[in-house]
Amino acid sequence: MHLIETRDLTYVYPGGVTGLDGVNFIAPRNARIAVIGANGAGKSTLFKHFNGIMKPTSGQVLVHGEPITRANIREVRKMVGVVFQNADDQIFSPTVEQDVAFGPTNLGLDEETVQHRVQEALRMVGMEDRATRVPHHLSGGEKKRVAIAGIIAMEPQVLVLDEPTAGLDPQGVSDLVGFINSLSRTYGMTVIFSTHDVSLVPEIAEYVYVMGGGKIVARGNMSDIFEKDELLTSVRLDLPCIPKLIRSLWEHGIEIDMAYTQKDAESAFLRAFRGSG
Amino acid sequence: MIEDLFLIEKQTYRDSFIHRLDARVKIIISFAAIIAMVAVPYSTTVYSVGSLLIIFFLVLWVFSRLPPSVYIWRLVMVLPFGIFIIVAQIFFTNPHYAVFHPIVTLPLNIHIYAESIEFATILLVKFLVCISFIILLSSTTKMQDLLEGAGRLGFPPEFSLIMGLMIRYLFVFAYMYRKVTEALETRCFNPLSREIPWKYRIRMLGYTIGTMFVRAYEQGERTYYAMLCRGYDRDSRLFIRKKPLVPGDWCFLVCGMVVVVAAPILVWFDIIRLI
Repeated sequence: MHLIETRDLTYVYPGGVTGLDGVNFIAPRNARIAVIGANGAGKSTLFKHFNGIMKPTSGQVLVHGEPITRANIREVRKMVGVVFQNADDQIFSPTVEQDVAFGPTNLGLDEETVQHRVQEALRMVGMEDRATRVPHHLSGGEKKRVAIAGIIAMEPQVLVLDEPTAGLDPQGVSDLVGFINSLSRTYGMTVIFSTHDVSLVPEIAEYVYVMGGGKIVARGNMSDIFEKDELLTSVRLDLPCIPKLIRSLWEHGIEIDMAYTQKDAESAFLRAFRGSG
Repeated sequence: MIEDLFLIEKQTYRDSFIHRLDARVKIIISFAAIIAMVAVPYSTTVYSVGSLLIIFFLVLWVFSRLPPSVYIWRLVMVLPFGIFIIVAQIFFTNPHYAVFHPIVTLPLNIHIYAESIEFATILLVKFLVCISFIILLSSTTKMQDLLEGAGRLGFPPEFSLIMGLMIRYLFVFAYMYRKVTEALETRCFNPLSREIPWKYRIRMLGYTIGTMFVRAYEQGERTYYAMLCRGYDRDSRLFIRKKPLVPGDWCFLVCGMVVVVAAPILVWFDIIRLI
């Protein structure tokens, strides 16, 4: 049984525009999944179906094998945490502490547990010293971390991040990559994220869905996706920096193994240059 | 007006004995002073009670180390709302006096009565005292602390949540307004400039206000979705941690309440009469 599964999910906006068109998506336990696609591809619309914020026009969304209903919606939202693209949409309480406590309080937890979860969530995102700050005094990156802490405090099994690196500086992106990977590896959380930044995908994800025009146009691991130039061009995306560089070296006759992550690339380059030296 | 929001916030981040007091203490003393002032019957006793409370307010203001200009500026901003009602009183009779003596007669049989002037003055004193304590409270206490303090004093959780949202998005809206204004300035749009036709200026201001409304609506929709994601329902409430008052807060609360309660009692029994 998969944590999240959609079957022929279709959503038509009230204006008649098709947001999703027969999407079949599977998120197994402890997976790290990237959903990539151009603007308007349907990524955010898909994510809003994962915890019942949007209701399908047709098709099904199954969480733990069960369709989302009014009876289980609370349980589903506890299980599937969605972090929105703009942190200002998500931080609605007057202080950081109160905002992170909003979800746990709604779960009916006692004050001591709420406080413990808030401290733990803020510690995980490195914001424990800013609990009493007001949100409008935080930087974009800090707001993003508070928004994530607000979801983590609910202890979801699946963390869904819509464009998590939008508006972050390079250090902020690097911190976020490390943090998301630790969530998956240390806490066994399933992570699903969308991004335009294709270079980020191999650093976090192990599986990729490519969306275009409200449909899933491709799915697979890194090599399945990033070896298809036509596919990437058709969805207005580019190859990540590392495989792009390696391909360029191939054209100059340098033999080097293909790599997608920085760590794999380092090994591949060392092997190639030590071998040639 | 929007920039005043940031100015008020800036004052609350200063450091002083009054700023450091627990929000509950400041709320209780401020509201006690307002109730004490409002509860004094309409008579010239109000002048003495009002004077004592204003002296108390001035002492607190000095301790708060805020410049007088902050108080004067904020008072000037608020005065038009009350002053209109107060000034209007001088032209009318009221149930607090049996006999009215006209001192000025204006056309259309409009009179200004001596008793009505006295009544308007009493209203002005009450208004000044109430507003002064509200200005002191809001200049020395962060909005977030005020909300937490009110919550700890038993403010209904439904209201706390709504007020919390209001405080949060007041600042989001203020930043949005600032960005829109900057975008207009960047493209050299000045609504007061006579170099461009007034119809064009009105139209562009209309577009801007419309954009702000649409953005506010969209923001509301996105925020509501985000709230649903985190289990929002009719039982949702703002998390307010328990926090005991420290001895210093208790001490100030007792002293402050003694002053506020003693002022009308001493004047009522003619032990003190300033005016």
